[in-house]
Amino acid sequence: MKKKIFITVLCFMFLFSMFSFLYAGKGAEPPPEPPEKPPVIKKVEPPAKKIKNPDTIISAGYGTIQSLDPHRAYDTASGEIVMNMYDALVEFEGPSTEKVIPMLAEKVPSEKNGLIRDGGRTYIFTIRKGIKFHNGAEVTPEDVEYSFERGMVTDQDGGPMWMIFEPLLGVGGSRDKDGNITVDFKDIDNAVEVDGQNVVFHLKDPYPPFLAILTQRWSAVVNKEYMIANGAWDGTEANWKKYNNPAPGTETLYNKAMGTGPYKLDRWEPGVQVSLTRFDGYFRGPADVKNVVVKKVEEWTTRKLMFTAGDIDIVYVDSMHWPEMENLEGVKIYKDLPTLANAAVFYNFDINPEGNRAVWSGNLDGEGIPADFFQDINIRKAFAHCIDHDTYIKDAFLGYAATPAHPIVEGLPYRDPNVPIRKYDLGKAKEYFMKAWGGEVWEKGFKLTIMYNTGNEKREIACQMIEENVESLNPKFQIDIQNVDWGIYLNNMVQKKCPLFVIGWVADYPDPHNFVYPYQHSEGTFAEWQSYHNPEVDSLIEDGIRTVDPAKRKDIYYKLAGLYYEDIPGFQISQALDRIHVRDWLSGYYWNPVRDDQMYFYMYKKGY
Amino acid sequence: MNFLNYIIRRLLLLIVVLIGVTVVIFILMALFSPAQRASAFITDIKQFGDIDSIIRTYGLDKPVYIQYFNWLKQIFQGNFGWSTTVSRPVIDAFKFFFPNTLELALFSAPIIILVGIWIGSLSAVHRDKPVDHFTRVLAIVGWSLPTFWFGLILLMIFYGYFQGLFPPEALGYKAHTFVNSAEFVRYTRINSIDALLNGELWIFVDAIRHLVLPVITLTVVQIALVMRIMRSSMLEAMGKGYVLTARAKGAAWKTVIKKHARRNALIPVVTVSGWLFALMMAGVVITETIFNRKGLGWWWARAATQLDIPSVLMAVLFNGILFVVTNLIVDILYAYIDPRVRLG
Amino acid sequence: MFFLKKRRIVLSFEEHPRLKEVKFSLSKIIKNPLSIAGMSIIFLYLMIALLAPTIAPPKYEHEPFRIPHEGYSIIPEPPAPGHPFGTTTKQYDIFYGVIWGTRTAFRIGFMVVGSILVIGVVVGSISGYFGGIVDEVLMRIVDIFMSLPTLILAMAIVTALGRSLDNIMKSLIVVGWPIYARTIRGSILSIREEDFVEAAKALGANDFTVIFKHILPNAIYPVLILASLDIGAMVLTAAALSFLGLGAQEGYADWGQMVSLARNFIVGPPDQPLMYWYVVTIPGLFILFFVLGWNLLGDAFRDIFDPKLRRK
Repeated sequence: MKKKIFITVLCFMFLFSMFSFLYAGKGAEPPPEPPEKPPVIKKVEPPAKKIKNPDTIISAGYGTIQSLDPHRAYDTASGEIVMNMYDALVEFEGPSTEKVIPMLAEKVPSEKNGLIRDGGRTYIFTIRKGIKFHNGAEVTPEDVEYSFERGMVTDQDGGPMWMIFEPLLGVGGSRDKDGNITVDFKDIDNAVEVDGQNVVFHLKDPYPPFLAILTQRWSAVVNKEYMIANGAWDGTEANWKKYNNPAPGTETLYNKAMGTGPYKLDRWEPGVQVSLTRFDGYFRGPADVKNVVVKKVEEWTTRKLMFTAGDIDIVYVDSMHWPEMENLEGVKIYKDLPTLANAAVFYNFDINPEGNRAVWSGNLDGEGIPADFFQDINIRKAFAHCIDHDTYIKDAFLGYAATPAHPIVEGLPYRDPNVPIRKYDLGKAKEYFMKAWGGEVWEKGFKLTIMYNTGNEKREIACQMIEENVESLNPKFQIDIQNVDWGIYLNNMVQKKCPLFVIGWVADYPDPHNFVYPYQHSEGTFAEWQSYHNPEVDSLIEDGIRTVDPAKRKDIYYKLAGLYYEDIPGFQISQALDRIHVRDWLSGYYWNPVRDDQMYFYMYKKGY
Repeated sequence: MNFLNYIIRRLLLLIVVLIGVTVVIFILMALFSPAQRASAFITDIKQFGDIDSIIRTYGLDKPVYIQYFNWLKQIFQGNFGWSTTVSRPVIDAFKFFFPNTLELALFSAPIIILVGIWIGSLSAVHRDKPVDHFTRVLAIVGWSLPTFWFGLILLMIFYGYFQGLFPPEALGYKAHTFVNSAEFVRYTRINSIDALLNGELWIFVDAIRHLVLPVITLTVVQIALVMRIMRSSMLEAMGKGYVLTARAKGAAWKTVIKKHARRNALIPVVTVSGWLFALMMAGVVITETIFNRKGLGWWWARAATQLDIPSVLMAVLFNGILFVVTNLIVDILYAYIDPRVRLG
Repeated sequence: MFFLKKRRIVLSFEEHPRLKEVKFSLSKIIKNPLSIAGMSIIFLYLMIALLAPTIAPPKYEHEPFRIPHEGYSIIPEPPAPGHPFGTTTKQYDIFYGVIWGTRTAFRIGFMVVGSILVIGVVVGSISGYFGGIVDEVLMRIVDIFMSLPTLILAMAIVTALGRSLDNIMKSLIVVGWPIYARTIRGSILSIREEDFVEAAKALGANDFTVIFKHILPNAIYPVLILASLDIGAMVLTAAALSFLGLGAQEGYADWGQMVSLARNFIVGPPDQPLMYWYVVTIPGLFILFFVLGWNLLGDAFRDIFDPKLRRK
C-alpha cells in the first residue's frame, strides 16, 4: 500500500514536470501588457529575426553595487547605474577623451570664449533652460550649485569627492585621519556660486583636468528641492556638519534617484538586479529602448549560457574567455578597445618587518630579506629583467595588452613614447644580482614571499613568472607565492608588509596627473605603500598639476617618465585592451575609454 | 504538564545556544585585524584612504567583548547591522533572500525524503541483491558528484541545448516584471505560492520551470543521506523480534514489511528530515550560485568570504534557532510515532 | 543517527570473544561483493599514494605537491603525449595533480577524521560516563557547535586563518567533532549500567581503566562506522570549499582544487560544449571513486559490526 503511494507521488511529480514542459513549449504566455505609447522614433520595418524582449536591454556582469548616490558611488558597478540616471554640465563627445561638449551647460568654457578666467582659476557655466528632472522640475543654477556643495558637505567614506575638493579647495577631503572636519563651510560655499543663469566655480589653483572631472558621474546634477524634501542637507551652514559622512545606506540617494538622465530608477533588488525605465522627457530625446536591467550573475558558465540563449543582451566576459566567444552566431564583439588602466609590479623600499612572515628571517642570511632589500638599485633592476613581457602578455592576456614603459598610459596626453622597457634578460638579471649588496645576495641567497589577491589570475601569473625566473638563477633564491583575500592583501600593502606587490590603476579622468600621482608622488596611493620618495619627482608632479601651458606640462610629464625608468620604483607589466560582447540585435555602441566597460544605455538601439 | 515543562526547558536551551554561537563568532572575529574587517566596506583600491574612518565609525578597534555588547544592544533595538556584501541592512536582506531559499527547500525536501525513504527501504528489503547494490552505488555516485559540475551540466542540457526549457534564475524576465508590478500582491514573497494566491497560473508555471533544475541538483546530491539511514534502520527493524514473530505466524513478507518494519524504521528518518533544511544549506550555497537564484546560501557564502560579519552573525543566529526548533519538533514527532519515547 | 542497543558480551570462552567476532566479520566481508569492491578501491588508492613518486616523479624535489606546468596559458589543453590526462587552466598537468592529489586526499581524510574521532571520543566518553553536571555542560557545548552552520562557519574560519589546506582541515575539525561526541555518549549511556562495567568498578578499577578498557571497546563501533563514511565525505566537503574559493594554494596537488580550477571550463564554447571534458571529469572521477570506496567499506563495516544488522 505504502509503496503504491510512493509510486503515485513519483508519477505525479513526473506528470507535473511534463506538464510544465508542455506549457514551456507554449512559451508561458504573459498577460496582455498595458498598451504603451510607441516611442517617438520607431522603425516600422518588421524584424527579420526573432528578438527576445524587444523593448528591454538586459546586461549581466558581477560586482556589488554599493550605493546609487552619485556623491558616494565610486566603484564601477554603482557608477554604471548612476551614469544612466544623471547628467553633468559637460560630457566627452562620443568616443573622445579630449573633445568636451555641453550637456546641462550651454557652452563649454575655454580661455578663448572667456568662460575660463584668472589663468584657469575661474570656470563659468551658463545653465541651459528647459531641461527637466525626472519629476518634471526644471534644472536651475541653484540645483547645480547645490549638487557640488552637497557632494562636498556629505563627502562620504569611500566616495569620489576628493576629485572635487582637490581643484576647488586644494585639499583631499573634508576630514583628517581622525575624522575631525578640517574644512570651513565658507570655503565650500564660496567655491561654487550662482550668478543669474550662470554657475561660477572658483578654483584654488589652476587645475587643467578640472573640465574632465566635470564630465564624470560624480559631477552629476541633483534636484535641490527633492533632496531637501527627502532629508538631505538643506543648503545652509547650520548643522552642515551633521550631514558629513553619513553611515552607509543613510545617504539620501542611496536607493533613490532624481536626475535628468535618460533613465529613471525602477527597482534595485540587492545582489540581483537594478531595473531602469526610460525617462520620456529627456532633453536630448527619449532613449530608444524602454527598459534596462542590469543583472548580477557571478558564475561565468551561467552567464555565458544566458547570453548564448539570448536572455541577456550584453555580457561581461573576463579576457580568458574571449576565444570561446568568437564566431558565435548572433553575437557582436567590439574588439581591441583601448583602456586607460595599467598594472605594475612595485618594490617596497622599507618593508615593515613587524610580525611579517613575508620577509622570513628579516636578515640577509639566505633565509630572508632585510627591510631595505630593495633600496639597492641592482636588486630592482635584476627583478625587472626577470619577467618575460611577451610571454606574460600572451598567456595572461592572450595577447590583448601592451607593455607600457611608465605610468602614463597610451591614450593620455603628454605621454613620452620613447622611454625604454627593461627587457626579459636572465643574463642581465644574474649580473645585477651578483652586483647587488656587494655580492652578498648572490652568495647567501634570500627568501621572500609574494602575495596576490585570490582570484586575480593576471597578478598570479605575474607573481609566478617572477618566482620561477628568479629561482632559476640561483638555487639559493627562494620565493614563496601566497594567495590571500582582497582585504588581507590591501592590508598587507597598506601596512607596507609586502616586499613586492602587483596592482593596477584605472583612470578617474584622462589626465597624466591621475597616474603619476599614485605611482610616483610620495603621498600617492602606491608610492606611499612603497615608501618611495624622490623630492625631485614630488615637486615636478606638484608643478605639473598647476601648469596650464601645454608645452610646459609636456616637459614635466616627459621628465617624470624618464625618472620612473631611472629610479625603477617598480615596473609596468600591462595595459589591457578590452572587448565588449553584445547580441547583434543591439546597435549604436561606441567605446569611450573613460567610461571603460560601464554601459551608457542611451546609445543603444535594439532591433535588426 | 510534563510536556509544558519540556517546551520551556527547550526554549531556555535556545537562549543558551544563541548566546553560545554568537560568542563563538565574536571569538573568531578577534582573529581579524580591524583594518581587515573594515576592508569589507571597500571594493576599490581608491577607497582605501577611508579605512581609518570606517574603523572609527563601527568601533572595529574596540575590544571584542565591547563590540559584542554593542552588537547585543543593537539587536535589542532591532538593528542587525549593515551587510556590505549586498549593501542593505541585514534584516532587509534577510527578508529579501529568505523566501527564495525557502521555496527551494519546500520543493526539494519532500522529494528528497519520499524518494530517499522509498529507495532506502527497497534497498533494505532486497539486501545484498543486485537492486540493493545498484541503488547504493547510485546514491553514492549522486552524493559525490561535484554539485557545481552536475548543476552546470544540467543547465547546459536543459537550458542551452533544449533552448530555454528550464532556465536559471528565479523567474523569467516577464514574470519577474509582473511579480514586481502593482497588479501582483506578494503575500508570502514565495513566487510559486504567490502566483497561485493571485490566480496567475502562467507565473506559477514559470516559477516551477525555474525550480526544476535546482531541485534536481539538490535531490541527487542529498538523497544518499536519507536513503542510507532508511536502509539501515529498516534492516534493524526487520531483525526485530516482532517482525520475525509476525513472519513466523505466516504473514506475507510484504505485509510484514509494510505494516511493521517500515513504520518503525521511519523514526530515525524523521530526525534526519528535521535536519534536512540545515543540511541543505551546504548544497544550497552552490545551487544558488550556479542557477543564479539569489538566496540565503548565496548571500551568506559571500558574506563569510568577504568578512561581512553582521551577515555571518545573522546566519549563525538563524541556524541556531533552526537547529533548536527542529530538534524540538522532531522530539515531539518521536513521541507521537513511538509511544515508548517519553518527553523529558 | 546511529542507534545502538545493549551489546552483550559473553565472558569466559576458550577463544577470546573479540577475536571470534573479527573472524566472523572477515568472513562476512569476503562474501559481500560491494565490500570487496570498496576494499579494492581503497587498496588501489593506497597504492597510488604510496607509489606517487614513481608514477609521477616530482619536478620540484623539495615541493612534490606542486604541480608542474609548462607556460601559463589559461586555456586547458587536451590529453597528449607527456600529459596523459591533458592540462588544466594555466597548463597544470592533470595526471601529476591527480596522482599526488591521492596523498592529499588521504591526508585530509585521515587527519580530519582522526582528530574529530579523538576529540569526539574523549568528550563523549567523559560526558557519557560521568553524567550529571559534566554531561549537561558538555552537551550544551556540543549543542552550540552543532547549531553553527557548518559550511558558513568553515568558510569564515578559512577566511580568518588564511586560505590553505591545513586551515580547511582545521575548520572541518571544528565543525565535525560534535556529532561524534554525541554518538559515543549515546552508546556509552546504553552500556554504562551493564553488569560487566559494574563488575569492573566493583573490582576497584579506576575511571580511566573502566572507560578505556571496558566501555569504549564496546561502544566505539558506531563512531568507527561513522568515521569510515566520513573519510570520503571530508574530501567532498574540502572540495566544496575549494569551489567556493577557499582551497589550497593554486598549483597544489589537490583534487578539489583541480575540480574548482576547471569551473569555468565545464561548459565549453557553444559548438563544442564538452570540449574541455577532461579538466573536470578526471579529478572528479578520482573523488567519486575515493568517496565510493570509503562508503562501500563503511557500509560493509556497519552491516557487519552493527549487532542489530548482522546475522540476518
